[in-house]
Amino acid sequence: MLKRLVGGREADVIVGDLREEFEARGGGRLWYWRQVLSCFAVRLSPYRLSAPDLFQDFHLAARIMRRNPGYALTAMVCLGLGIGVNATVFTMVHELFWRNLPVPESDRVVAVTREREQMTCSWRDYLEFERRSGAMFAGLTAYDDVPTSLDAEGSSQIVMGEAVTANFANVLRIPAQAGRWFTPEDDRIGAEPVAVISDGVWTERFGRSPEAIGKRIRIEAQRYRVVGVAPPGFVGVSPPHTAKVWTPFLSQPYVRELLANGGGWERPRVRLFGRLAPGVRVGEAQAGMRVLDEQLQREFPRERASNGALLAAVAAGASMAGVREVAAPIATLLFSVTGVVLLIACVNVANLLLSRSAVRRHEMAVRRALGASWLRLVRQTFCEGLTLASGGAVVGVVLAYWTNRLLASSLPALPHIGTATLQMNVDWRVAGFALCVAALSAVAFSIAPALEQARPDPGVGVQGGSGGSRPRRQRDFYVIAQVALSLTLLIAATLLVRALGRARDIDPGFQMDRRLAARIYISEPEYTPDSGRLFFDRVMERVQAVPGVGSATLSYTVPLNFSDSLCVAAEPNARPRRTGSDTVVPGYFGTLGIPLVRGRQFEAGDREGAPKVAVVNETLAQRFWPGADPIGKTFLAGCDVKKPRELTQVVGVAKDAKYESLDESARPFVYRPLAQNWVGFMAVIVETQGNAGDFVTPLRAALRELDPNLRIYEVQTLREYASESLWKVRWEATLLGSFGALGMLLAAVGLYGVVAYTVAQRTREIGIRIAVGAQPDDVMWMVLGRGLALTGIGVGVGVLLSAGLARLMAGLLYGMSPFDPTSFGLAATAWTAMAMLASWVPARRAMRVDPVVALRWE
Amino acid sequence: MLLAVVRLGDGAYGVPIRREIEERTGRKVTVGALYATLDRLEAKGFVSSWFADPTAERGGRSRRYFRVEPAGIESLARARDMFERMWKGVRLA
Repeated sequence: MLKRLVGGREADVIVGDLREEFEARGGGRLWYWRQVLSCFAVRLSPYRLSAPDLFQDFHLAARIMRRNPGYALTAMVCLGLGIGVNATVFTMVHELFWRNLPVPESDRVVAVTREREQMTCSWRDYLEFERRSGAMFAGLTAYDDVPTSLDAEGSSQIVMGEAVTANFANVLRIPAQAGRWFTPEDDRIGAEPVAVISDGVWTERFGRSPEAIGKRIRIEAQRYRVVGVAPPGFVGVSPPHTAKVWTPFLSQPYVRELLANGGGWERPRVRLFGRLAPGVRVGEAQAGMRVLDEQLQREFPRERASNGALLAAVAAGASMAGVREVAAPIATLLFSVTGVVLLIACVNVANLLLSRSAVRRHEMAVRRALGASWLRLVRQTFCEGLTLASGGAVVGVVLAYWTNRLLASSLPALPHIGTATLQMNVDWRVAGFALCVAALSAVAFSIAPALEQARPDPGVGVQGGSGGSRPRRQRDFYVIAQVALSLTLLIAATLLVRALGRARDIDPGFQMDRRLAARIYISEPEYTPDSGRLFFDRVMERVQAVPGVGSATLSYTVPLNFSDSLCVAAEPNARPRRTGSDTVVPGYFGTLGIPLVRGRQFEAGDREGAPKVAVVNETLAQRFWPGADPIGKTFLAGCDVKKPRELTQVVGVAKDAKYESLDESARPFVYRPLAQNWVGFMAVIVETQGNAGDFVTPLRAALRELDPNLRIYEVQTLREYASESLWKVRWEATLLGSFGALGMLLAAVGLYGVVAYTVAQRTREIGIRIAVGAQPDDVMWMVLGRGLALTGIGVGVGVLLSAGLARLMAGLLYGMSPFDPTSFGLAATAWTAMAMLASWVPARRAMRVDPVVALRWE
Repeated sequence: MLLAVVRLGDGAYGVPIRREIEERTGRKVTVGALYATLDRLEAKGFVSSWFADPTAERGGRSRRYFRVEPAGIESLARARDMFERMWKGVRLA
């Protein structure tokens, strides 16, 4: 070690010396090590690193800060704000993208994914991979994440579940905190269905009772015996979803069905995780898996579809393609925005340093005259910058801690059936990130002042004249840049906020006021399709008897929540097209207020056995039979190649509506009657008199009354569903709005600083002007004019910049033009008002300048 | 430090230099500080050093010997003169 640090012969000498003395002293290990340590200390100390006075520079920087606490504090808070928002966004992005799974040695757990594919491979592929990949993986496990209904101890919820292979817990090394995980006996067709529940479910449903083990819970239609509880903090392997229940893969009814009916080689499909065998690197595993993949392709060329190449990466949020798709654009947007905020903060501090550099011209000139080199002066400024920035980093991390907590609790939730939770913790990574950002910004904001201070112009300096025009022009430039940048943020935020308002005004094509939906689920063995239909009839009767309920209907999907799809072909030989679809009962169109344009709605006669019928929307009618009367036309419905497609007749045409999101463009849609297409997972939608929210409890009670064991999930108003569907814009508007405001505040402080500084510098001139008869108003306008001129240029640049950038936001604006003049106007006006305020304060001070004092100045 | 090297003459290498200073000043000197100082003196041209052949008593490791150069002697003389001038006529208490 010593040799490495000191190098070759010299170390030899030192070791020799030590040995000689060690023997002469007759021992003393402690002494020996103290001597060794002293060598390190000396070698590593900054004194040796060609900068013997670096410590002095920092010392001076610290002294300057102590002597000018206002200046230091302002700079640190500005930087802290900028660093803080970046750290917050970093936490968020880190949480979504880079967080490794919370399992032991998580850097050895690898997700095997496939290019451009959601699911990695088929179940049969997995069996082959598992058998042949022993050289690369200590264990390879397969899973599928499925939103499921979970019914335990009398309450029902839709949660995220994971269907996993028996070796899941072994590969991840997560011991059960109670009971056990699955054995190969559990993961076999025909085995008793068993389940492992999450710590959360154990707490909420079973009160952490050990008796939970062995209890029965229900997942979808099947009953499971609880055999274990997952360790606390383990929320599955599909972040940001929080998995709450795990079942053996082969216990899944859909899996059994696919395997029994010979779904082919390619189905069912799974995702893969493996724990690397000792000594194997990720790249090696990836290469090995690709070879295996090709091998399988050669062996089963007809059964297997040829897919994209396999990828392997350390399992983190990033391996989840779904997360990436949702989060990547948001993350990009957020980082650009916070980057701009940081830039504004840096410009502010640079400005501050520049003003100080004018004050310190004298000092610098003296130092230069005494022989300080150019490099030395530049270094001094950088040291100050670094000192300020590290203060800023501390402020930033503290701020990030608070904003993270605030955000975690106040941000609108991600739209994943209520299962997503962002855990926003400030850890060493965040702190490290803050430090890096701080160091970078220190360099950024110190460059100009450093060069400015070190600029040799000895003539002026020593005698102590006032600052030249160069730094002033530089500061003007900074202010303009700040105004432009923050205005861009402000315009973007205004656009989003207005788009949000506008989205609320979009006509959804159905009535959402006073409508309430309750999701219920009936399935075998209690209900067959026949008894289920009878039960749904009773539901309709009972619900309509609730006082205050006008009409009621049933629908598979709830508008603006999710939608189903169907393959539709007009001719037997035509290529089927995917359309939106829903399964409803007679009366649906009435309750939702969707007008029928032509034909009739469903009737009691449209039953099983009768000719299949459908109601289509205007867009579908127009696309399939342009110019013709769609009533009586037929189409073939069905996507499954194994089952015969159903010849379906159009009996009615409904007006277009919004089905999945408010900003979608018109899309073809098919409604089919429940009587001819059985679904047990239905939403009861009621039209109420008065506030729909008041009917949540009565509706629940009425449903319970019919069947105490009925599985009832969320009960929500259609307004709430619509508002949830706007989550993305709301999210972005919230964040962008707050960051935009922050940016504006910082820029305003910067503007104030510059104008105030000019006033201070021109006190003498102003004094003379007043002495020779200038009116206070003239002086005020002179100062205000300067602030406003800078703002004006900044606003101009900002508007141009926004016009260029707004196009990128077009997708988020619900059809509003990205050049919406109102938004631009509003933001620009707001900024101008802010600028007036920021310049007015120093302008007033200028008005009060006493000519006598001013002339004596300096 | 320079004085110690001068005083030790031909035998000036790490161990005796350190011992000399510790005995005369009563202050502990670590190996690290010792060589750092000697390196600096060498860089200024006050001392020079060479490596001797390895000896068995040091486990086959060589010694680094130091010798004072004329510049070092001059600097010592200057320091002593200055000291003496400053002490001239000073009486304590």
